[in-house]
Amino acid sequence: MTLSLSARNIVKRYGGVVALSDGNLEVNSGEVVALIGANGSGKSTLSKVLNGVVTLDGGQLLLDGKPLHFASPQSAKKMGISTVFQELSLIPQMSVADNIWLTREPLSPLGVVSKATVFAKTEELLSLFTGMFKTELRPDSLVSDLPSDEKQIIEILKAVSFNPRLLILDEATASLDSRQVHRLFDLVAKWKGEGKAIVFISHRMEEIFQIADRYSVLRNGKTVGAGDMKDITEKDLVKLMIDKDSVFQYARSGTSTAENPVCLEVKDLRNQVLRGISFEVHEGELLGIGGLQGQGQRNLLLSLFGDIPFSGTIHFNGQPAQFRHPRQAMESGFALVPGDRAREGLLYIRSTLENLQLPSWARYGFPLKIDKAKDDAERMGARLKLVMAGLQEPVSSLSGGNAQKVVIGKWLMRQPSILLLDDPTKGVDVGTKAEFYALLTKLCEEGKTILFYSSDDEELIGLCDRVLVLHDGSIQTELVGAALTKENLIAASLGVAHGDAS
Amino acid sequence: MKRLTWNTLLVRYPSLFALILLVLTIAVNFIVQPKLFAIDTLNSNMRVFLPLILLSAGQAVVILGGGIDISVGAIVCIVNTILATRVGLQGSPEAMLQYTALSLLVGILAGAINGFFVAHLRLQPIITTYATSFLYGGLALYILPNPGGGIPAPIAELYRSSTPFGIPLAFFVIAILLLLWGYLRSTRYGNYLYAVGGKAQAAYETAVPVVWLQFSTYVISGFMAALSGVAITMLSGAGNAEIGLAMTLTSITAVVIGGNALSGGVGGVAGPVMGAIALSFVQNIISFARIDTWWETLVKALIIIVALATPGIINLFRRRT
Repeated sequence: MTLSLSARNIVKRYGGVVALSDGNLEVNSGEVVALIGANGSGKSTLSKVLNGVVTLDGGQLLLDGKPLHFASPQSAKKMGISTVFQELSLIPQMSVADNIWLTREPLSPLGVVSKATVFAKTEELLSLFTGMFKTELRPDSLVSDLPSDEKQIIEILKAVSFNPRLLILDEATASLDSRQVHRLFDLVAKWKGEGKAIVFISHRMEEIFQIADRYSVLRNGKTVGAGDMKDITEKDLVKLMIDKDSVFQYARSGTSTAENPVCLEVKDLRNQVLRGISFEVHEGELLGIGGLQGQGQRNLLLSLFGDIPFSGTIHFNGQPAQFRHPRQAMESGFALVPGDRAREGLLYIRSTLENLQLPSWARYGFPLKIDKAKDDAERMGARLKLVMAGLQEPVSSLSGGNAQKVVIGKWLMRQPSILLLDDPTKGVDVGTKAEFYALLTKLCEEGKTILFYSSDDEELIGLCDRVLVLHDGSIQTELVGAALTKENLIAASLGVAHGDAS
Repeated sequence: MKRLTWNTLLVRYPSLFALILLVLTIAVNFIVQPKLFAIDTLNSNMRVFLPLILLSAGQAVVILGGGIDISVGAIVCIVNTILATRVGLQGSPEAMLQYTALSLLVGILAGAINGFFVAHLRLQPIITTYATSFLYGGLALYILPNPGGGIPAPIAELYRSSTPFGIPLAFFVIAILLLLWGYLRSTRYGNYLYAVGGKAQAAYETAVPVVWLQFSTYVISGFMAALSGVAITMLSGAGNAEIGLAMTLTSITAVVIGGNALSGGVGGVAGPVMGAIALSFVQNIISFARIDTWWETLVKALIIIVALATPGIINLFRRRT
C-alpha cells in the first residue's frame, strides 16, 4: 500500500502559455503535503499532471522510484491516485450514488448495476459526514439539487471511494463551513494514519498549518521552496508565494462611520430562505455579513439586488427600494458582485474589454464610442492592477484573482453608490486578497457603502467595523467593535448566543 | 425549492410531455378514424411508424451521449438502395437475408466513420454528420440514380401483414427495443452514457472512457438507421435513393418531444419512441381529416415549440406569483 510519488522539473504548456516551468513535488504514504501558491502559479496544473488529466511536456514522474507516464486519468486511477477537483468532477443530472460509484459500479451477473449495493455503499460513505448535511441527503438525490457545500462533500466522498493510495485535495474546503472542514480534517488525519498520501491545496493559511506535515511552494510555475511545516512561519510562507514583503497586512480604517447618516434601511425581509431580516447601514460603512455557508447570505444580497422575490421594506437614501428586477437596482446605484464568478460574474470566452463594459455600454452612444470605452477600460485595468495580455484577450486566459478583479471592475465602471459583495475573495490568492482589502477600504473612504459577505472569518474581523452573523435565515447576532472577535463570530455562526462570551 | 422540484420532475420523468402528447394524439386520431383499434388499422398504422421509431431510438442514444447524428436519413437511403438493387423484385429469400446482413454492417460502418470523426478527431457533431450525410446520400444516388428496383412482394408482405398472436409485428419490435434499452441503461454502459452526455469533462476526470463511449453511440445510431432502412424498404417494397432524407429531422424532433435534452445526459429511449409514435399520429390525423398537408408542418412545429417551452413557461408563472 505504501507509495512515494515524486514529480521532477515538470513542464506544462497550454498553447503559448507556460503554466508550469519547473514544478516539483514529493509525497509519501502517511503524510500531508501542502501545495501552496498564488492563483495562476500552477498548483492546479501540477495536480492535473499527477492525476493524468493533462499530459506533461517535460520533466519526470517517479512512482516508487520507477518512471511512469500517465496517458489518461484511467492509468493514474489504476495506480491509486484520485482527486478532489476544484471545479468538481460531478455530473449534475446524476444521483449522488451514481456519481460516487461511476466507473466502479458493483455489477450483478448479467452486468446490471446493483442499485441496492450502490445505495448501501453510498450510505456507508455518507455516514463519514453524518450531521453535516443541511438537506435530507439521500443516495438518490440529484447532485444538481444540492447546495454547494454538499456537492463539495460528495466530490470528496467520490475521490475517497476509489480507496486511493494518493488523495489530492484541490481547494476541497472552499465551499465548506467550519464544522464541515473540521470533520474533513479529522478524516484526513485518519486516512493519513491508514497510510494514505495526501496532497492538500488551499488558500487558507490557517488550514495548511493545521493539517500539513510538509509544504511545497509554487510561484509562476516554478517550485520555489519546500520543507517541513514546523520549520516555517505563516509570514515566511506568504513571502515565498508572492515574492514581495507587502504581506497580508491590512487593517481597518480608523474612522468610524457610526456618525454618518443611514443610507440603507432594511425591514423584515422575508422569502423562502430569509426569516425576517432587519438592519441599517450607514453611508461609507463596510458592513460584514458572516455565518456558516448557506444561511441566507446569498439570498439576502440577491433580494437587495432585486434578483429574487421577497416581502418586506427597503429604503435607500430615504426612497423605497424594493426592486423587482436587477435593472432597477442598477439604476439606483446598486452593484452586485456574485459569488460564482465563472457562471454569474463573467462571460468567460469574451474579452476583458467586453466584460468590463458589459453593464455600461448604454453610456457609449450609438454607434459605440469604442475608443472611449477602451480608454475607460484601460484606466480601470490600471486602477485594479489587472495583469492581462491585453483588453482583447478572453477573460478565460486570466488567473482566478485577475478574473475576480474584472468582476468588481465591471461594476466600478458604473460608479455605484452601494456594493453588494458575495464572497469575493473565494479561491483568490493572498496577494490579490491584500489588494482587494486596500481597494475596499479606499472605496469606503470615498463614501461608497459596502455589504460584504465572506466565508473567511479573519477577513470579516480584520476589515469590518460591524458584522451581522446570519443563522438559518435570520440575524443571529450583530458584532460591533470589541465584541468582534473570532470566538464570538464562530459561536454566533454555530447559533450559540455570545452574551456571556463578550 | 419549488423551482428545483419542477427541475427534478423533468430530470426524473422527462418523457411526461411525450406521454401526454401520445394520449392526446391517439384520442384525436380515434375521433377521425374510429376503427383505430381494429387489428388491421392498427397494423397498417404501426408498420408505417416503425422505421421512424427505430431511427429515433438510435438518435436518442447519440443525443443522450451529448452528440447528434444528422446522417441517419442518408444511411436509411443507402440501405434502401442496396436492397432494391441487389435483391431485386425477383430475388430469393436467401439473397434478402444476405443483403440485410450486409446492410446492417454498412450501417455500423457508416456510424463508425461518424464516430471516428466526432470522438477521436473531436470534430463538431452537427457539422461532421451533416457532411457525412452528403457522402452517404451521394453514395445512395450512385447505387440507384433513379427510383426503381425493389424487393420481392412476398418478402415485403411478411413485414406488412405479419400479426403474430394477433398483435402487429411492430409492437414486438418496439417491445424488444425497449427491453434492450432497459437492460442497456441499467448496465455500466448506461451510466457512462449519461455521465458523458451530462458533463464530458467531469466524466473524463473520473476515468470514464469518453472517446470510446462517444464512438459507440454513433455506431449504435448507424445500426439503428440501417434497421430502419430495412424496415422502410420492406414497407415500400421499392427503391428510392431519397426515401429517408426527410426522416432525419423528424427523428431529432421525436427525441426532443420525448424529453431528451439536446445538450445530452437527460432523458431516455422510451420518451423518443413515444414521441415518434405521437408525431406519426399527427401525420395520420392530418391526412384523415383531409386538411392541407402544410398543416402537418405547422402542427409539428407547434408541438416542438410547446415541448421546448413548457418548463420555461411554468417557471415564468412561478416567478410572477
